[in-house]
Amino acid sequence: MKFLRNIFDNAHAALNKSEKTKKFFPLVDSVDTLVFTPNHTTQKGAHIRDAIDLKRTMMFVILAMIPCLLFGIYNAGHWHYHALGEAGGYMDNFMSKLGIGAWYVIPIIAVSYAVGLGVEFIFAIKNGHAVQEGFLVSGMLIPLIMPVDVPLWMVAVATIFAVVIGKEVFGGTGMNIINVALTARAFLFFAHPTSMTGDNTWVAGIKDMKTDGTLVDGFSGATSLGDLAGAKSKYAEAAVALAKDKGEVVVAGLKAEGDAMATKAVSLMDSFWGFEVGSVGETSAFAALLGGAFLLWVGIASWKVMVSFFLGGLSIAGLLYAMGGNPFYEVDPIQQLMYGGFMFGMVFMITDPVTAAQTGTGKFFYGFIGGALGILIRMANPAYPEGVMLGILIANVCAPTIDHMVIRANVKRRMKRLKTA
Amino acid sequence: MENLINIFFQAAFIDNMIFTFFFGMCSYLAVSKTVKTAVGLGAAVIFVLGVTIPVNYLLDTYVLQEGALAWLDPSYAEYDLSFLSFIMFIAVIASIVQLVEMLVEKFSPALYGALGIFLPLIAVNCAILGGALFMQQKAFANVGEATSYGLGAGFGWFIAIVLIAAIRERIKYSHVPAPVKGVGMAFILTGLMGLAFLGFLGFKLV
Repeated sequence: MKFLRNIFDNAHAALNKSEKTKKFFPLVDSVDTLVFTPNHTTQKGAHIRDAIDLKRTMMFVILAMIPCLLFGIYNAGHWHYHALGEAGGYMDNFMSKLGIGAWYVIPIIAVSYAVGLGVEFIFAIKNGHAVQEGFLVSGMLIPLIMPVDVPLWMVAVATIFAVVIGKEVFGGTGMNIINVALTARAFLFFAHPTSMTGDNTWVAGIKDMKTDGTLVDGFSGATSLGDLAGAKSKYAEAAVALAKDKGEVVVAGLKAEGDAMATKAVSLMDSFWGFEVGSVGETSAFAALLGGAFLLWVGIASWKVMVSFFLGGLSIAGLLYAMGGNPFYEVDPIQQLMYGGFMFGMVFMITDPVTAAQTGTGKFFYGFIGGALGILIRMANPAYPEGVMLGILIANVCAPTIDHMVIRANVKRRMKRLKTA
Repeated sequence: MENLINIFFQAAFIDNMIFTFFFGMCSYLAVSKTVKTAVGLGAAVIFVLGVTIPVNYLLDTYVLQEGALAWLDPSYAEYDLSFLSFIMFIAVIASIVQLVEMLVEKFSPALYGALGIFLPLIAVNCAILGGALFMQQKAFANVGEATSYGLGAGFGWFIAIVLIAAIRERIKYSHVPAPVKGVGMAFILTGLMGLAFLGFLGFKLV
């Protein structure tokens, strides 16, 4: 420990020698405060007595993400072998699955952190303040919500866009309006849709397997949600064919095709534990809930947001389930919420304390809007089966308005109380 | 009924005047500094769109379109007055905006003061004329559909301006870098909000 302390002290002393190097102070300071507790105290404004500061808060969130990350690495390897037809049981080739997964996932994390922190350093040096901590979490979230096979340069471009346009133009950490990690994903989702959705992105190295012909027969590489959305569109085609009097055989054939696609979607237990293809960290509801329990325990995430988000999703899924009519709507509501990134979004995205509604009552509305719209976009919008991201973004956009209305309502109620008293 | 709801939903969220077409930006940027004025102007836009579009629809169907005058006399069926539609639409919009202005001044002088020049400027707000021209292009079947479209387009504009006004109130004390302060920030915000609203693109309930 003494040895480390000396290194930092020497670095600070070396920087302070000349005016030119002084502006690189944030560079050393940020690493220093990451390792040691900062020794400065609050000078003015609100004094909050708490053992954790912003950096510790961020580290807790990263700790909470570790189950998702570890499972994501294993899962990436598992599906890589599965696509080659060599997966076997879940525990077979365990170490080599981890190895392959790490081979694909670690570079995404490295690029995300290197690029994002690089941008942060440039802004910190330019604005003359210490590096802000916010990117520690975003830099881990971005890899977890990317498909395994995403080209690394895209990760870099999306990270730059998210940090600069999503955060720094608002004044940095704690000021952004929409979630930084989701900004990165949404940017790529609309700018490079072929690399973010479809059959060729979710499994590590699937493009090469297709060109080599080593891909095992019958493996499509689509997510469960992709299969279900495909089934839904087959049913829609069947309805069109029925309206045009194409004959019973054609209609029944289309519906059978749809049903066949729907059966590819994984079972409730598999999607709960996370044995399905998808973005790196999103597949396992169990890992996400572990992280969520930790976040609730240390008091960083708000249970109000989580619960209302879940209820919002559940109510829309239940409503469409009651409507029925195609395989996508007929998925059991609870299972619907286990697919894709819903649970991951519930734990790590919607609860982001910066972009969430700040008022207690507002948090309920905010979470509910996010969950309901996320599931509504996923199920009713044929283009975006991975729609939870967009639901959360819209909730982020609505959060200030919700706060405003809650505060106005409070003011009104108190005025009334004042008058009657 | 389902049809009317669909048209309303489409106009409000999918073909949102601000996020999809970037229409009516001048008053959107200028009046969105506080939620209160934003709500006032948004309500005015809903009213103006909800009234002008059905009126313009009737005008278009019974006077301006090719053969629209046939109800007067069969011999008029050959006339096509659609080249007049720009002028006629603007005239209708301007007179109705005048009406709104008088109403707001009478019933809410404070809002009238806050909105300032932007209230009369609704007359030349491209969202209003754009709405009328989209209405013409979409060839609605009856006046009910046109009204639904007008209200939906107005509601979409209302939502957009209220959302951004609340956000701008919230970031009032952020350290926004000098080059993007003010209007620049509003443009960036609109872009990011548009990114989120892209989720509604291609929406189909059934």
